[in-house]
Amino acid sequence: MSEKEGIPPGWSYNPASWGQRLPIVGLAIIGFGIATYMALFQLKVFDTVWEPFFGNDSRKILTSSVSKILPIPDAALGAIGYLADAITGAVGGTRRWRTMPWIVIMFGLAVGPLGFISILLVILQPVMFDAWCTLCLCSAAISVIMIGPAMDEFMASMQYMKRAKDARVSLWKAFWGYKEVQGKVI
Amino acid sequence: MWAQIINAILGIWLMASPAILGFENIAADNDHVVGPIIASFAVISWWEATRVVRLYNIPLGAWLLLAPWVLGYDSTTPVLNDMLVGAVVIGLSFVKGKVTETYGGGWSAIWKSDSLHAQEARKQPRV
Repeated sequence: MSEKEGIPPGWSYNPASWGQRLPIVGLAIIGFGIATYMALFQLKVFDTVWEPFFGNDSRKILTSSVSKILPIPDAALGAIGYLADAITGAVGGTRRWRTMPWIVIMFGLAVGPLGFISILLVILQPVMFDAWCTLCLCSAAISVIMIGPAMDEFMASMQYMKRAKDARVSLWKAFWGYKEVQGKVI
Repeated sequence: MWAQIINAILGIWLMASPAILGFENIAADNDHVVGPIIASFAVISWWEATRVVRLYNIPLGAWLLLAPWVLGYDSTTPVLNDMLVGAVVIGLSFVKGKVTETYGGGWSAIWKSDSLHAQEARKQPRV
């Protein structure tokens, strides 16, 4: 299987190549580490939280009312989000935009909302609590940086789904990557 | 891309400017809300496939021009800051920069018929 076969029609490169995907998976793993650390503080496993710039602010943010809205601490939810990003970013070969569109589309959908919620939390820090949390800002920066590079692969899969639709192939089967579809649609 | 790097810095500047320039209340809240959004849209548009997202910063920049009057800022510093940053963000949002790769027709090719990826796919042999 040559490298060229992974390039989607009309594209100049393959968005599902490892060079494209590994940096995103790496970022997701770093984000997972940061979020897990903050979640462990929220679960009182650690007594203190690392905060180099804003004094007691991190504690204020991480123990705030907003962080307890859900049954699990908000950082734990973030950690789950990053883990989903890392897994959906890593699963599948370099032609997965057409052999398994479901994972690429799930990847795109996992990266988007995580970034959105991170931005929302960054806004709430100063507006509601008049405080900043360094690790929360780092986590938000990582989740925003991941959006752009993840979207090209998502676009390639969506274009593939459009070709499947035009070829009057079952979109359900195309989505789940049935072998019979892959012979009919490129 | 340089233009969107500057816009990202301007968004972060908005987040920090209430503390650095020393203003509070509604002006600070507005900058704390708009700053992260501008920075995020700018960062997302660093990549060619999502370069179009830079245009979402145009309405946000326009809001920065209007906000001092709509929200009634009570001092001059945040008025000048918002209007200056707003004007620069709008201007730089129009800068598309270099796009060197091709994307099978881009986002609109997901719903438009007979776009580049469909034409190219027809030329390829079935596997």
